[in-house]
Amino acid sequence: MSTKGFNSFEIAQAQFDKVAALLDLDAGTREFLRWPMREYAFSIPVRMDDGRVKVFRGFRVQHNDARGPSKGGIRFHPQETVDTVRALSMWMTWKCAVVDIPLGGGKGGVICDPHNLSAREQEKICRGWVRQLVRNVGPVQDVPAPDVMTNAQHMLWMLDEFEALQGGRYPGFITGKPVGMGGSLGRTEATGYGVVFTLREALREHGVAVESTRASVQGFGNVSQYAIRLYQQLGGKVICVSSWDQKDQASYSFKRNSGVDMDELAGITDAFGGIDKEKAKKLGYEVLPGDAWIEQPVEILLPCALENQITPETVKKVHAAVKFVAEGANGPTTTEADVVLKDRGIYLIPDFLANAGGVTCSYFEQVQCNMNYYWEKDEVLGKLDSKMTSAFLAVSELARERKLYMRDAAYVIAINRVAQACKDRGWV
Amino acid sequence: MSSDATGGRELPRFDRRFFEGRETFTTIGAGALGGKASGLLAAREALADRPASLRFEDLEISVPTLTVITTGAFDLFLERNRLHELAASGADDRQIAAALQRADLPTEVVGDLWALVRQVHVPLAVRSSSLLEDALAHPFAGVYATKMIPNNQHDPETRFRKLVEAVKFVYASTFFRAARTYVRAAGRDPVEEKMAVIVQEVVGHRHGPRFYPEVAGVARSWNFYPTGHAQPADGVLDLALGLGRTIVDGGRAWTCSPAHPRSVPPFNSVGHLIEQSQSEFWAVNMGPPPAYDPTAETEYLVQAGLADAETDGTLVHVASTYDPDADRVVLGVGSPGPRIVDFAPMLRLAQWPVIEAVRGLLALFAERLGAPVEIEFALTFPAPPSPGAPEGLPARLGFLQVRPMLVSSQTVEIGEDELAGARAVVRSEHVMGNGIIEGLRDIVYVKPEVFEARHTPAIAAEVDRLNQALVEEGRSCVLVGFGRWGSADPWLGIPVEWAQIASARVIVEASLPGMNVDMSQGAHFFHNLLGFRVAYFSVPGLDTAGIDWEWLRGLPVRRETGFVRHVETPVPLLVRVDGRRGRGVVLRDAGGDA
Repeated sequence: MSTKGFNSFEIAQAQFDKVAALLDLDAGTREFLRWPMREYAFSIPVRMDDGRVKVFRGFRVQHNDARGPSKGGIRFHPQETVDTVRALSMWMTWKCAVVDIPLGGGKGGVICDPHNLSAREQEKICRGWVRQLVRNVGPVQDVPAPDVMTNAQHMLWMLDEFEALQGGRYPGFITGKPVGMGGSLGRTEATGYGVVFTLREALREHGVAVESTRASVQGFGNVSQYAIRLYQQLGGKVICVSSWDQKDQASYSFKRNSGVDMDELAGITDAFGGIDKEKAKKLGYEVLPGDAWIEQPVEILLPCALENQITPETVKKVHAAVKFVAEGANGPTTTEADVVLKDRGIYLIPDFLANAGGVTCSYFEQVQCNMNYYWEKDEVLGKLDSKMTSAFLAVSELARERKLYMRDAAYVIAINRVAQACKDRGWV
Repeated sequence: MSSDATGGRELPRFDRRFFEGRETFTTIGAGALGGKASGLLAAREALADRPASLRFEDLEISVPTLTVITTGAFDLFLERNRLHELAASGADDRQIAAALQRADLPTEVVGDLWALVRQVHVPLAVRSSSLLEDALAHPFAGVYATKMIPNNQHDPETRFRKLVEAVKFVYASTFFRAARTYVRAAGRDPVEEKMAVIVQEVVGHRHGPRFYPEVAGVARSWNFYPTGHAQPADGVLDLALGLGRTIVDGGRAWTCSPAHPRSVPPFNSVGHLIEQSQSEFWAVNMGPPPAYDPTAETEYLVQAGLADAETDGTLVHVASTYDPDADRVVLGVGSPGPRIVDFAPMLRLAQWPVIEAVRGLLALFAERLGAPVEIEFALTFPAPPSPGAPEGLPARLGFLQVRPMLVSSQTVEIGEDELAGARAVVRSEHVMGNGIIEGLRDIVYVKPEVFEARHTPAIAAEVDRLNQALVEEGRSCVLVGFGRWGSADPWLGIPVEWAQIASARVIVEASLPGMNVDMSQGAHFFHNLLGFRVAYFSVPGLDTAGIDWEWLRGLPVRRETGFVRHVETPVPLLVRVDGRRGRGVVLRDAGGDA
């Protein structure tokens, strides 16, 4: 799962340029949308548990807020770069636009490794991050959310700091909060379920019965776990899943032809989502190298872990049986590999459409917070299904009509909506 | 969807377009359709192939648009919310209903339901369609819940919540006490039961705060109580203004023969006619929201009076007027006076071919199912001509249900001698059912010496207890009481639900000076009587010879409560019912003078 030598922002810009040409956008709009509207970079000094002061580098990038307040996660990652955050904020803009929710795109992060930080130190980072940005974020400006290595607890610390500074209660400032503290039911399932809602529609459109399909999944985190659950509930069979082993600092694929059992695997998983290899073997799983998930004889691939996983090299291993790829992760397919998938006639559901369930549910959370009235879980998931299905149908219809690759069609819809909003506001 | 759900037929899944979609019968989820929905599917196919004689320019006949949430969703609902234990616990109905309201519907169906309420703004009927209903060919009428929702709230969130609450309520009704007893009485384990749910457009029109059809009808192709010139094979038609609940609940409906629709039922006088004809009707409440109670079947139903119907303009086709000066009934509502819901304009003027349609439908389905049938339908008529309104619109007959009537074909003849014989414990010339029942040894009777009308609710509770004991023992009984069994009005009889008397194979309604009312003629439990082949004996007036009380009092007592006694006969009873002549006897034993 290497990400070295890979600049996400360049890829994001290249994807944008391609679609801007398709849309025949004027030069000003192109230049405006190629770059984030605002970027904040700052230092967060933290007195560590051992008494020393350590300075952490923090970011917030607001790519575009023409359609509504910026929305995007906060990542705690030792290899965080501003370019990654820029790319991710741009994708958030497109993601919110493609599912047609009234939000813009943002992303933030702190260069740190939470594995090596105590809870108190992490709390200090969270509060420091908010102190730096308190004037530039908020329910009507920019709404953060959990992302890589941040969770509901981090969000609560940030919310608490924000409310202390503002002198009020603003549950709509941040999403991903625990249920009962302003969080939304269904948020945990939302991204994984969203992937499968779009996959279900794609299969239906191609006249393929879910029951007749098998899938191989990369990753065993929240997204893949719920995607696997719903896909199997609909009748599909997952025969291979890969997971990251924190101890070995390597990933492994776990294969069982009779199908993986989610409850069984969840029972032998550590706190980082790593599956216990020995126990898995005893349960009849073959333990294979981490990349083996991609070469399985299945109809569906669900890359749900990291970016840059389907590359010019790995795409060659994709089995001839594969007909559908639904990108649960952000940016799992490189531009070159994309071309190969397209040439092979593999139907792709692009990341910012497939995994938009998370941000859609975050939007629902924000709506509920602002109303201070919370929905039942079936109401949340019903709306999520409806939103994701409508978004998928709009994209696939455009792809069919204009004979576009699905990723391009999704970009066309999203970029067109954002460009139009910028025009309507008189910005470009 | 999978073909196993529909007996090999592939049904289109709900495409998130309810009225605009190409299909008017769709499914959500995997699994079976259940009995009611399967019947409607067959009906829809039969209607599509119906002969030209059943096609009318001015009367449109169709199954109203519906989608079925199949039994797979029910399984997932129970499993994911871990409700099996509660369902089997025998908990109180309200407790079950409340617990199921707190549970979540499966993710696989909520998207479709959300899409449905987003585009549909008309009232919806959320109806049960159970698996055992299909498997057992039993009617299950009134056993499970049907909930009507107005679905007219401005915001889709509220409409969605109301729909979801209704679906969960129908699910909950699977485990209500009455349903469990019913299923056990049918010889099955309630845990085998699975529930599909039909979400169907309600046929009707909106009139201010009410939505209802002008006419609801239940027609049967076999009539157990023919009057006048009518023959049993002519069938019988019950009609009511408003929703069909009036008929199903045994309220005041208009009964006529499809072969002789103009014949007025035998009323003693105009006063009797006015007294016995419908004075209230059911509608979906489209007005201000009622008290919130998702666990009540009638949450969104409202009962209105004839004055409301007059205001709504819906009496035009269904009512006549009493002219007190001439002491006669005048057809229609052209003149002032008390209205009588006798459907005379519709039946006599025959502006729309309703009777032809009913006769044709009964014949069509009786032939298709190879048995006498019962059908339910709702009728609406186009608005009267007005400037700018489209003209020549057809009336609409929404076909709601069809099910076979289980009629015994056995020929039993009971002569005068047998009827008057000394071995007859119960004898009557007002009997419903047909055939022979053997092997009964239990008789549960309300003690005449202590009976008073004011005690009927307490009597109902005692009968319930004795019935439960019999159900648990797997035994059946002859049940004898005073007034109407199942009456909603405790002054007219014993207010029991069917489940509280489900062990009865013979039901006897007798009279006493303090309870001398018109007998129910089995109306309250009509479907159950048919389904379980229960014989119904009516001993009207003060026919003291109808029941051999002396003999009953001499039998050994198995159980006794304040008002009810359960006795056991030394040898099995023999029950003989001559359905053609409406006669029946319960004999002390199989031999002797019969």
